[in-house]
Amino acid sequence: MTDVALSIQDVQLAFGGVRALDGVTYDVPAGQIVGIIGPNGAGKTTLFDTISGFRKPDRGSIILSTPNGPVDLVREQPWRRTALGVGRTFQNARLFRSLSLRDILRTVQHDSMKHSGLLRSVLGTRGARADEAMVSRNADEALELVGLARHADKPAQELSTGMLRLCELAAVISVKPKLLLLDEPSSGIAQAETEALAPLLRRVAEHLGATMLLIEHDMPMIMNLSDTIVAMAAGKVVTYGAPADVRNHPEVLTSYLGQSV
Amino acid sequence: MTEFLSTLPGGLVTGAVYALLAMGLVLIYKATRIPNFAYGGMATFVAFFHYDIVNGRTYGFHFNALFVHANWHPTIHLSFWAAVPVSLALAAALGWVVERFVIRPFARMSTVTLTVVTLGLGLLLSAITQQLFGANDLIVSNKNAIFSRTPAFAIGGVNVSYERAGVIGIVAAFALLTYAFFRYTSTGLAIRASATDPDVASLLGVSSKRLAVVSWVGGSMAAGIAGIALASLVVSSNPNLLSLLSFKGFAAAIVGGLVSFPIAAFAGFAIGIGEELARHYLVGHNASLWQGAPEVLTLGAVIVTLAARPKWIFRGLRDDEDSGLLSRVGATDSRLARAIDPVEAYRAFRAAVPTAGVFGRFGKVVRYGVPGVLLLFTLVFPMLPLPSFWTLPANFALIYLLIVLSFVVVVGWLGQISVAQGAFVAVGGAGVAICANNLNLPFPLPLIGGVLLSIPVSILIGLPALRLRGLHLAVATLAFGLAAERAILPRFNASNRVALPDSLNTDGARYYLILVLTAFAVLIAWRISKSRVGRSFYAIRDSETVATAYGIRPVRVKLTGFVVSGAISALAGGLLAYQLGGVNSQYGSVFFSITWLTYAVVAGIGSLGGPVIAALLFGLYPELTKGAVNATSISFIPEIVAAALLLVIMMINPGGLASMSRFIRSRASAHEDAATDETGASLALAAADADEAAA
Repeated sequence: MTDVALSIQDVQLAFGGVRALDGVTYDVPAGQIVGIIGPNGAGKTTLFDTISGFRKPDRGSIILSTPNGPVDLVREQPWRRTALGVGRTFQNARLFRSLSLRDILRTVQHDSMKHSGLLRSVLGTRGARADEAMVSRNADEALELVGLARHADKPAQELSTGMLRLCELAAVISVKPKLLLLDEPSSGIAQAETEALAPLLRRVAEHLGATMLLIEHDMPMIMNLSDTIVAMAAGKVVTYGAPADVRNHPEVLTSYLGQSV
Repeated sequence: MTEFLSTLPGGLVTGAVYALLAMGLVLIYKATRIPNFAYGGMATFVAFFHYDIVNGRTYGFHFNALFVHANWHPTIHLSFWAAVPVSLALAAALGWVVERFVIRPFARMSTVTLTVVTLGLGLLLSAITQQLFGANDLIVSNKNAIFSRTPAFAIGGVNVSYERAGVIGIVAAFALLTYAFFRYTSTGLAIRASATDPDVASLLGVSSKRLAVVSWVGGSMAAGIAGIALASLVVSSNPNLLSLLSFKGFAAAIVGGLVSFPIAAFAGFAIGIGEELARHYLVGHNASLWQGAPEVLTLGAVIVTLAARPKWIFRGLRDDEDSGLLSRVGATDSRLARAIDPVEAYRAFRAAVPTAGVFGRFGKVVRYGVPGVLLLFTLVFPMLPLPSFWTLPANFALIYLLIVLSFVVVVGWLGQISVAQGAFVAVGGAGVAICANNLNLPFPLPLIGGVLLSIPVSILIGLPALRLRGLHLAVATLAFGLAAERAILPRFNASNRVALPDSLNTDGARYYLILVLTAFAVLIAWRISKSRVGRSFYAIRDSETVATAYGIRPVRVKLTGFVVSGAISALAGGLLAYQLGGVNSQYGSVFFSITWLTYAVVAGIGSLGGPVIAALLFGLYPELTKGAVNATSISFIPEIVAAALLLVIMMINPGGLASMSRFIRSRASAHEDAATDETGASLALAAADADEAAA
C-alpha cells in the first residue's frame, strides 16, 4: 500500500439541477503523476476548483496529507492552500498580466515572506531586505529552470500563451508545493512543442518531489507522462489505473475516445 | 398619523423624480449595457438651458473675418410650456451627440473604463453648463415653476400643491409610456431581446446601433424632464446639486440591477420617502445632531443592499473580472513615467550621463548639478523674489498631489474604483478641527488625529467594498461619499477655525510643512510599491482568483489598501484645513472626488509620475492663473479642457499621460510580434536542459 497524498471522498457538487460532481471518490498516490481525462463537462476543472477551494462541495471531504497530519481542505479558506503545499495552474494561463515575469514570481512567493508586513516593508528592516533578496533569488532560479530567464523583465501581457504557460509553471515551482494541480498545461502551445513539455513536467515533479494531478486533452502526451490515469464522465470517476489499462477500458472507449480508437 | 401623512407628498414627489431618473438609466443600460454616470450632467444641462430661455436671454454671435463682419443677437424668451418642446429637442440632440461621438467608441470597453468615461463626461457637461449659463444659483420663481405652487387639494389636512401632484403625474405618464413602448412596439421588443442576449439578437437582425441611438435619445429626454422638474421642486439649485441629486437616481437604478424598471422605480420612491421621513422625524427634532441623516440612512441602505448581493442585482450585468483599464494602466515601466517618477527619473538620469572619458568631469557636474539645482529650487522657492501669488498655488498643488496619490494607491495599484477619496479629505479636515477646537490639542497632534480618524472610516467603507467590484463598487463608494459629504461638511462653518502656531502661520512656513509631509507620504508610497505589500495590491488588481491561489488574502490586502489611501487623503484634508484656516465645504465633496479622479486618470493613475503631472497641470497651473488674473471672472475653461482631454486620452490610450511613450512604442512594434516563435525556442531550451539533467 503506497502513501496517499490526497484522499477525495464522495465529493458532490450541483449547479442548479446539474450534478457537476456526483460522488467522486479517489485516493491520489503520493509521488505519482496522475492524469485526469474525460469529455467536456465531465467535472474535471470543477474537481480542481473544489480542491483549490474556489467552490465548496455540497457533500464529501478532501483530505490532504501534510507533515502535520491530515487536513480537510473543504474546511479551509482558498488562500490557505499555498501554506498547506497545494499549487495550481489555470485553464487559460491566467496570471498577473501587467507585471513583469520576475515580479510575478516574486508576488507568488507572498506566503514565504515572513518578515515583510506593511511596517517592516516600509522601514526596510533587515528581515524585510533578506525576504526580498530570497524571493528575487528564487524567482530568477525558477525562470532559469523553465528557460524564460531572458524575458524576466517583460510584462506578461506582451508574451504568448505558450510563454505564459511556462511562467505559470515557474510560479508554482517557486512556491514549492507538495501537490501540484495543472489544468491543461499544453493548451495554447503548438503541437510540436507539447513533446518538449512532457519531459519538462516530469522534471518539475521530480525537482519538487511533488505529487502531480493534471487535466489534459492531448492523449499521447498524458498517456506517456502519467503513472496513473483517472477517467471521468458526467461527474463520476469511471475507472482508474495504468495508462494502458484505462485506454482499453470499454466505458472509456464509448464515453470519451469513441469507438474508432 | 397626520404627522406621518404630512411627510408623504414631499417624499412621494422627490421619490417620483428619482424614479424617473432611475427609469431613464435603466432604459439606456438595458439597450446598450452602458452605465451612464453622466446622467446628472445631462439633466443639469437641459434644465439650465430650459430656465435660461424661460427667464429670457440675449445671445451674442460675432463673426469677424477680413472684410466680413456679422453680429447676431437673437433674444429668446419663451413661456415655460412653449420652451418645453425646445428643451426636449435639445435633450434629444444631446443624447444623439453623446451616443454617437462619445459613447460609441467606448461601447466594447470594460465597465470600469465606461464608469470613468461617463463620470468625466458628466463633469464636462457640468462645466459647460456653468460656462454657458453662469455659475450663479438657478432660482425658479413661482411664475416659472413647472406647475402652480398653490394648493390643489388636501389629504388628511395636508395641502398638496399643483406642482407636486403634477410632477407625480408626469412620472406616472412616463412609466406608462415606457411600459407600452416595451410591450407593444417592435423596437421595445428588440431592446428586450438584446438585453437578454445581445449577440443572439444581433444575429437575428436587431441593429444594436439603432437601439443605442433610440435608448440614448429617450433616456436623455427623460433626464431633461427630470432635470426641469427637479430644478422647479428644489426652487434654488446649482449644477453640482442637480448632478448629485441625480446620483440618487443612479443608486435607485442599481438596486434594480440596472435592468428592472419596477424595482428601480420602487427604489426611487423608497429613497425619496425615506429621506423625507428622516428629515421630518430626525432633522426636524434636532437639526445639528442629525445633520445629513436622510442621506446617511437612505444611501447606507443602498450600500447594504448591494453588499448583500441579492441575485436580481447581478443577473443582468455583464461580468468582466478583468479590470480592463486598470491592469493596462498599472505597468510602470514606461520611459516617460520613469522620467517623471522622481526616484526613477534620478536613476535614469544618472545612467544617461557619462562619467568617464573626456566628458567625465562635465558629466559629474551635470549628474549632481541638475538634480541639486532642482532640489534647491524646491527648497528655497518661497524665499525667492517671485510674485507673492506664487506660494499659495504651490501649497495647493502639493496638497492635490497627495489626493491624486491616494487615488493611485486605491484605484491604480489596488484596482478598486473609489469615488470616495474626497470623503477622506473631509474626514481629515474634520479630525483636525475636532482635535484642535473641541479637545484643545497642541499643533502636531490634530494632524495625527485626523489621519487616525480616517482608519475606522476606511474600514467602514472597506467592508462592503470587499464584496463588490467594478460598477457596483463605484456606486457604493459614490453613495458613501455623498452621505459623508452631507453628514460631515455642514457641521463645520466659518466660526470653526483652525490655525497653526504663530511661528508656522505664514504661507512660506506652511509650504515647508506641506512639502516635508508630502515628500514623506510619497516616500512611503514608493516603499510600498516596491515591496511585498505593493505586489499583493497589483496581484489583487490583475486577478483575485490567481492571487488567492497563491496564498494572498483579498480581504486583508484590500483593507490595507483602503486604509493607506484613506490616510493619505486624510493627511491632505488636514493640511488643507490648516492652509484654509478651517474646513471648507468646497473641498471633500463627491464632486471634488470625481474631478480629481478624472485628473488622476488623465495624468496616469498607475505610477508615482501621475500625481506629479496632475499636481503641476491641474493644481499649480489653474491656481496660478486664478491668482494672476483678477479673481472675479470665474472661468470653467480649465475644467472643460481637462474633462475633454480625459475622453480623448481614454480613447487613444487608457494609460494616461504618464504612459504615453509606452503607448507609442507598442503601436510601433505591434506588427513585429515574434512571441510565438520564442515560445518554441524557450521550450526547446528547457527540454534540452531537462535532457541534460536526466543524463
